Amino acid sequence: MSARKTSFTDKRTKNGTSKYVLERCASVNEYYDIVFKVMLLGDSSVGKTCVLVRFKDGAFLGGNFIATVGIDFRNKVVEVDNVKVKLQIWDTAGQERFRSVTHAYYRDAQALLLLYDITSKPSFDNIRAWLTEIHDYAQKDVVIMLLGNKSDLAAERVVKKEDGEKLAKEYGVPFMETSAKTGINVELAFLAIAKELKHRATQQPNEPKFQIHDYIESQKQTSGCCGLK
Amino acid sequence: GMDEEAQTAHVSWDKATLAPVDRLRSDRADSPTPGLVEGTEPGAAVQKSAMFVHAQSFEDLTAEAEKATGKEENPDESGECAEELQVLVGEKNIEEQHNRDGSPQGRTKEEDVSSETWRSHRKHVFVLSEAGKPIYTRYGTEEALSSTMGVMMALVSFVEADKNIIRSVHADGCKVVFLAKSPLVLVGVTQTCQSEKELLRELHYIYYQIVSLLTLTQLNHIFQHKQNYDLRRLLAGSEYLTDNLLHRLERDPGLLLSAVTCLPLANSARDVVSSSLQAAKAKNLVFSILLAGDRLVTLVRKKDQFLHHIDLHLVFNLVGSSSSFREGEGWTPICLPKFNTAGFFHAHISYLEPASELCLILVSTDREDFFNMSDCKQRFLERLSKRSAYQALKEALKCPSYSMEQVGIPELRHFLYKSKSSGLYTSPEFPFVYQSDEEQERLMGLYQELHSHLHYPTRPLRFYYRCGETENLLAWVTNGFELYLCFSPLSTKALAVSAVNKLLKWIRKEEDRLFILCPLTY
Repeated sequence: MSARKTSFTDKRTKNGTSKYVLERCASVNEYYDIVFKVMLLGDSSVGKTCVLVRFKDGAFLGGNFIATVGIDFRNKVVEVDNVKVKLQIWDTAGQERFRSVTHAYYRDAQALLLLYDITSKPSFDNIRAWLTEIHDYAQKDVVIMLLGNKSDLAAERVVKKEDGEKLAKEYGVPFMETSAKTGINVELAFLAIAKELKHRATQQPNEPKFQIHDYIESQKQTSGCCGLK
Repeated sequence: GMDEEAQTAHVSWDKATLAPVDRLRSDRADSPTPGLVEGTEPGAAVQKSAMFVHAQSFEDLTAEAEKATGKEENPDESGECAEELQVLVGEKNIEEQHNRDGSPQGRTKEEDVSSETWRSHRKHVFVLSEAGKPIYTRYGTEEALSSTMGVMMALVSFVEADKNIIRSVHADGCKVVFLAKSPLVLVGVTQTCQSEKELLRELHYIYYQIVSLLTLTQLNHIFQHKQNYDLRRLLAGSEYLTDNLLHRLERDPGLLLSAVTCLPLANSARDVVSSSLQAAKAKNLVFSILLAGDRLVTLVRKKDQFLHHIDLHLVFNLVGSSSSFREGEGWTPICLPKFNTAGFFHAHISYLEPASELCLILVSTDREDFFNMSDCKQRFLERLSKRSAYQALKEALKCPSYSMEQVGIPELRHFLYKSKSSGLYTSPEFPFVYQSDEEQERLMGLYQELHSHLHYPTRPLRFYYRCGETENLLAWVTNGFELYLCFSPLSTKALAVSAVNKLLKWIRKEEDRLFILCPLTY
């Protein structure tokens, strides 16, 4: 109960500047110190739900494509530097008819994972439109990360890794390629977000700033020997 | 044929709200008689009001969608709608989005539309825009059928030009039924013996399915703005809902009877579940619905707000068709077209436990209400788990149905019983002779036929008995209930009549468990 209440007031009082109070909160069966809202965005069928399920349950949702209806809300607690960080993750439907619903929740999010599918050019081309939407609806200081998903499908690749990198650089956001199927870089994406948010919330004046770009560069794996196109 | 009566014969049943006469528990007769008044039949609610908008089943579907009770509850109307429309129509990346959204769906539609297999499907359903643009086909791809749908639209327009309406074409063992619901045109083609009216009823359901995804206001706006609009863009990823609804229409007695069925559960346990749900209320919460699979456990509604069974079936279809709610908590806009075609409600959908069949749907008028609804769910769960009723409920899930052996009328094979005033029905498992899918669908087809006779607009029958080679059938409608029975072909009419009396007594005895007798409001 208290956990939920805390997160709710956080949303209300937070204004970019105020710090989160570190307070150990007990939910029904999980303990955490701090809570953040993360949203998954991107076109339909780029693999948002699969990336989430890989992160949350360590499994891959194979088989038929099941479109997410509206928004799907799940929690996962991760540990960052001995601090338990609860990520409230909003998985959104990519379909256009749900756009207005997702807009309503953009401003609550502290981090956005924006996905495209490396085997779908249109999904990559739409990233600019997504970034425009983010600009219009999200908080100004929101953490954005660009992910090129399905990196295991090397043979069907149509979006070069360099193109992803270039676009990410243009917008100044961190980037990596992921695969929900093999799990490559999926955990890293969420952990990097958690670290960045945790550092922002708890940073002491004399502490060095967390460098999310450097962290990712040092940790990320490339999608295998043949992915170097 | 231009049957004028189709437009005039129906009464607007859903204008009358369902409020059975005030009465006490002791008024309930032990043995119902044919002269039974509505509201005292087995399964009727004990309290003043039941859960649903009064639905006289068939006629209701052919009636125009109209705004039901409670104007002030109409969600999202003017302001937010305008914003949504702008998003939908005004966005610059419209054209690019089409390609990707339309592509990889989970169904296999790659079927050659010129093949014999395609032609021989028992029932086809097509949806097109008034410009003749394909929106949905049950089999094959819309692209491959654009000329066929063009011809369909030409037929509709040709007859319309003479200030007339095309209703159906009968040729070569095929019925082609048209339903023009501006801005959509729906066409059903069947090779079965299904009546035109029944097919029309199914087309209405498909129409409401589409409206529930987009709202009628949005549909109208889109086509006023751009007559040539390709609606598949907005429906992308939802085709499976229409597919599944068509499947349900062939198999689910609830869609035929305009009623829903309940999870058999001891009255005392159900009352605790209902009151726990009643206590977990919130300002904008309009309906709280607890489902066990396709069965209703309980439904609590805002005072003076009634849910229509069609809307409830659309909710069932959404929940039953999507595994996306299995984990986590879902939050989605949904238009309940029989309540209000203009606006969206927002539904919080989640299972009580990950592997459970129990699914809770909380319907709010506010699209920013996710956390409030999530909180309602927690409060409900906390309340419920403190009580033994939750255990009783979990036990009840193990036997969600009952067999004819339990009913104990040997000559009776199967039945459908609907209590009219409560809008609830009960039916046993299919017996051994109807084990295969084909046999079950055949039996459902027979029930449909009986239903057609009982609800024929100009000459409805009250009582109908038919001997067949494989089964004898009886249908009976009174002010209080509708009853459809299936007997062995060796049975007699006299036996059938005595079986009806035994059955009604049995239902009366079991009504506490089979029906929701005490529906609650917040």
